[in-house]
Amino acid sequence: MALAVMLLDGASFHGGCCRHRALLSFLGPLLSNSKSYSSYRRPGAEPKKKLSWQNVDFSFKKSIDHLKTQLSLLKEESKDFLQGPGGHALRQHVLEQTRVLWQFRSQEDLNKWVISSDVEIGGKSKAYIKLGRNNQAALLYGTLNTEVPRDGETKYSGYCSMRSKPAVGSFNRKKYYDWSNFNTLYLRVRGDGRPWMVNIYTDPYFSHQKDDLYSYFMFTRGGPYWEEIKIPFSKFFFSSRGRVQDNQHPVWLDKVRTLGFTIGDKVDGPFQLEIDFIGLLNDRAHTEEFAYETYDKNTPV
Amino acid sequence: MTPQAKLIFTTSLLLGTTITISSNHWITAWAGLEINTLAILPLIAKSHHPRAIEAATKYFLTQATASTLLLFSAMTNAWFTGQWDITQLTHPTSCLILTSAIAMKLGLVPFHFWFPEVLQGAPLTTALLLSTVMKFPPMSLLLMTSPSLNPTLLACMAVFSIALGGWMGLNQTQIRKILAFSSITHLGWMAIILSYSPKLTLLNLYLYITMTAAVFLTLNSMKATKLSTLMTAWTKAPALSATLLLTMLSLAGLPPLTGFLPKWLIIQELTKQNMAATATMISLLSLLSLFFYLRLAYCATITLPPHTTNHMKQWHINCPTNTSVAILTITSIMLLPISPMISTII
Repeated sequence: MALAVMLLDGASFHGGCCRHRALLSFLGPLLSNSKSYSSYRRPGAEPKKKLSWQNVDFSFKKSIDHLKTQLSLLKEESKDFLQGPGGHALRQHVLEQTRVLWQFRSQEDLNKWVISSDVEIGGKSKAYIKLGRNNQAALLYGTLNTEVPRDGETKYSGYCSMRSKPAVGSFNRKKYYDWSNFNTLYLRVRGDGRPWMVNIYTDPYFSHQKDDLYSYFMFTRGGPYWEEIKIPFSKFFFSSRGRVQDNQHPVWLDKVRTLGFTIGDKVDGPFQLEIDFIGLLNDRAHTEEFAYETYDKNTPV
Repeated sequence: MTPQAKLIFTTSLLLGTTITISSNHWITAWAGLEINTLAILPLIAKSHHPRAIEAATKYFLTQATASTLLLFSAMTNAWFTGQWDITQLTHPTSCLILTSAIAMKLGLVPFHFWFPEVLQGAPLTTALLLSTVMKFPPMSLLLMTSPSLNPTLLACMAVFSIALGGWMGLNQTQIRKILAFSSITHLGWMAIILSYSPKLTLLNLYLYITMTAAVFLTLNSMKATKLSTLMTAWTKAPALSATLLLTMLSLAGLPPLTGFLPKWLIIQELTKQNMAATATMISLLSLLSLFFYLRLAYCATITLPPHTTNHMKQWHINCPTNTSVAILTITSIMLLPISPMISTII
């Protein structure tokens, strides 16, 4: 038994020069870190990173610094806790009708967002983000290309998206946004006439919920004027892994993790979106609970 | 949910509770607990919202683990002493495992993490059932085994429950989570006096159930699940908001309301048992929970917000509040003058 293990270890270590050995080809699928056998990697996907345990850097000073940063974050969190819900006094929580979540005035604000496009699956769209004129807005621009990557299994392509990084508290704990006081998303944008999809990702505790997303559309005008788009949260529909579900329900806003914008309107060509700020509004005139009616399936006869 | 299904689940809940309370063998007690767990799961997940299903899953996992531990403690006791009788649980290891199993069932610290999430995911009436009816069976098991349980462990868990229930409830904006932390605090008060005077635990449980039921039913009439909705509930039911203030303060344990009675008697008993320092500590820690009860009362009654509601559910219902709210509110506010009689009844 021990000899077999040693043989396997030796085989994986010398993987590059042992291709011709029949034993190695037989055991190929079992040697996951062998260099001669690798699973199909989509063009555009990153090559396999080093495993996390190979990345460990035993440096005492770095760990002390890391601990100090985390403790200072913890101190900040405790101070906010003593202030009240969300770090502000209750008075503010009760009376607030607007709140600005993200505004784009510096590179730091841009770093809170992640850009991705169909390059991950081998597509050819391009997406970039930079600060707009006078550092007054974020400019998300690029080219959409619906050419399908030729890997035999992808049918559609052509999307670009911008997603906020999830908030992380001290010691890498998950932090959630509590938007339960508000009922509308308020965006000040200047688009180019293309329709965008706004996606809200709420916290998935169990892994079967990790693809759940609440989405709605943002139709932009192309004009030189800024637009203020209000999207009530009652309009967001529920989809999982891109498929709109039959059982619809309103989005619960007390544990929101990320907000994202996606463009995927099947039109090749350049796109551009400037976002000044993203905020929340408690529109007191909006009384709709949920925009979609759900009917009972299997009604009793 | 069809009426037949509701009937089955409600009857199963009552059946499970009765089986556990009236049993003297560990297996029947465990069977009752399992019936309760299974019966309440569809009630939690009724709306099929992902958060409700998440709450039901979390509830099932924790309660199943706790039932397993309970059965394990009974088996170890039977292995060492040959006794399956609930009152004859004498082996110290079994007592420790049982205490942790019941703590998990009830939601005592350090097994309390599931409780706020489950209550938040469940609808208001099911949250009421989770806080009141589901506390009966584990409490009855604790009461039956109270002479053999380790007082130090119970006291530690109780003090931490009161502390954490107070601290973690401080910044919540969702009412169901606040009531979950209030439940944890009250369970701490019940647990601390268990080894010395189980009757006081029972009294505390009954009064807690009365007060919590009053609060939950009031909130159900107002359809308020968040602080911001609670603030505008006075427009639809002003008298109910006013009585909610008194019921909240009663939960906080302020004299001359009913909620003061169990706290007073528990502190008195602890002092008699030479635990004056513990009594002082838990009284001071209860001030934290007083803060969030006062905050709820402030939002419901004391302040008038500058806007009216845009929460349409508050305007959907035209039927009057049912009688039980009135009866429970009266009992949860006005029982203190007859406290000598209550102590003799329990």
